[in-house]
Amino acid sequence: MTSRPSPSDLTAGAPAIRVRDLRRSFGHGRGAFEAVRGVDLDIEAGTISALLGTNGAGKTSTMELIEGLGRPSAGEIRVLGLDPLADRAALRPRMGILLQRSGFSGDLTVVETLRMWHSTLSHPQPVADLLGALGLEDRADTRVVGLSGGEQRRLDLACTLMGLPEVVLLDEPTTGLDPESRRDVWGLVRGLRERGTTVLLTTHHLEEAEALADELAIMHHGRIVRRGTVAQIVEGHPSTVRFATPGVPLPELRELRDTTRQERGSTVVETDDLQATLTALLTWADRTGVRLTDLSARTATLESVFLAVADQQRAPR
Amino acid sequence: MSTPTSTATTAPGRYAASRRRVLGLARANALLMTRNRLTLVYGLVLPLLPLLLLFVGERGDTTVGATAVTTTLLMALLFPVYYNVLSLVVSRRDELVLKRLRTGETRDSELVVALSLPGVVIAMAVSVLTLVAGVAAGLPLPDNIALYAVAVLVSAVMFVAFAFWTAAWTRTAESAQMTSLPVITVAVAGTLTAALPARFAEVLDRTPAGALDALVRLSWFGEDGSRDVGLLDGWVAAGPPLLVLLAWTAAAVWLAARSLRWEPRS
Repeated sequence: MTSRPSPSDLTAGAPAIRVRDLRRSFGHGRGAFEAVRGVDLDIEAGTISALLGTNGAGKTSTMELIEGLGRPSAGEIRVLGLDPLADRAALRPRMGILLQRSGFSGDLTVVETLRMWHSTLSHPQPVADLLGALGLEDRADTRVVGLSGGEQRRLDLACTLMGLPEVVLLDEPTTGLDPESRRDVWGLVRGLRERGTTVLLTTHHLEEAEALADELAIMHHGRIVRRGTVAQIVEGHPSTVRFATPGVPLPELRELRDTTRQERGSTVVETDDLQATLTALLTWADRTGVRLTDLSARTATLESVFLAVADQQRAPR
Repeated sequence: MSTPTSTATTAPGRYAASRRRVLGLARANALLMTRNRLTLVYGLVLPLLPLLLLFVGERGDTTVGATAVTTTLLMALLFPVYYNVLSLVVSRRDELVLKRLRTGETRDSELVVALSLPGVVIAMAVSVLTLVAGVAAGLPLPDNIALYAVAVLVSAVMFVAFAFWTAAWTRTAESAQMTSLPVITVAVAGTLTAALPARFAEVLDRTPAGALDALVRLSWFGEDGSRDVGLLDGWVAAGPPLLVLLAWTAAAVWLAARSLRWEPRS
């Protein structure tokens, strides 16, 4: 998601997905609601990117616009240089889409469902290959209604990937899956990158974004508020030291001033220089013979940044 | 932009791909019809029952014959076409199948055809079977088979459109039992000309089924049941009911097109 402000070029090296000042409103007049409020995105070809956000952040709305399922109220989208709505016929054979909720007829079997999808694609892989790749061979003749949630999601992914897409859009691919099924899906997504496929996925599982994505964008209230690699996003965010508040007052150390707060019997210190703060704190404790129980220290994580973003941005509304 | 998808960009390739999609989806819809006993009964058995009317009463009685033929065709249009397409659209929509399919290469028009095809094929098959059964039961050969076919085809399109329109304001597959009643009632009422006072007849002639009834009688038995109407005169006589049917079809298509929904109301 490096910024690359170029005109809508179709040349090699252009991002696989390029979004400029994207907006989407629902409703009219007083009840109108703007779900997407000026999103810019550049997704490099052959990478995995994750769109992170709380529920209602606008992730699905943004995805639906990129997928060509909705019309933006403003802004420009190019997928492989093409407009998702105007160039739908040329673009769809090159895209694979997974919606947030799977949509199947419960009374069709797995293999009947896959055959149906097969008939709709320009360049489908054989049904048998997909059954194997997604570990569904044993369930081929089971009706969809009898599948577990994980199996249904794998079947859905099989449909998404059947046409050997160049760009894959996955809206919460692992929501509702057990940990084992989730690992399976992660493996599949990583496999796509090895094949050179461009993947954009949404998730509200931070560890999923960290495990899979080359680059992340954090979305909040319809805007992208942070973007980059995990290291880039976490950079500049304070580390946290936490310990049970001792029976004696804390010293007036420079490192502890301003950034210390009390939280249910614990003292929490936020610091940009974890080593200096810890040294000061531990030296004081050692000298005065204070025992710091439940002491922990951690650098900023994606989670802490994510929560901080959510808190900060809530205030002005 | 040159892509490897050349088969999708040339016209013949595009039609072949379109046909493949429609047939693949229609096959799945037909398969689903056979998976549900209730659908199977109203989709296949119900429309065939009125044919039995042809074999009761006097052999070759054209009054009974015309009524039996109209009733059979109307059942074939109301159940395999109207009600079946309605419940298919509503349940596929609620299962998010339609939304999922629209993420793929399938076009909306192909989805509409694929959803309608199994029911329309059954209605066509029943209309052919009705010809065979009618002749077997001693009815004369139809005067104007082309008019008969046109009447059935236009009616099928009309009931498909009514099904999509009804689906737009039907919340669940179960509530289709209620929401389908207005269309079914108007359709059935149109065949009651004989049972009602003459002043109603003029109104009933302008209902879809009233027009269908008139066209069946004209195409099979000629004008006023006298079989000496020439082919050209037959088409001229068919003008008014055909116009009525086309007007209803246009209205139904207009209503369906402006109310079409592909996913459940959130």
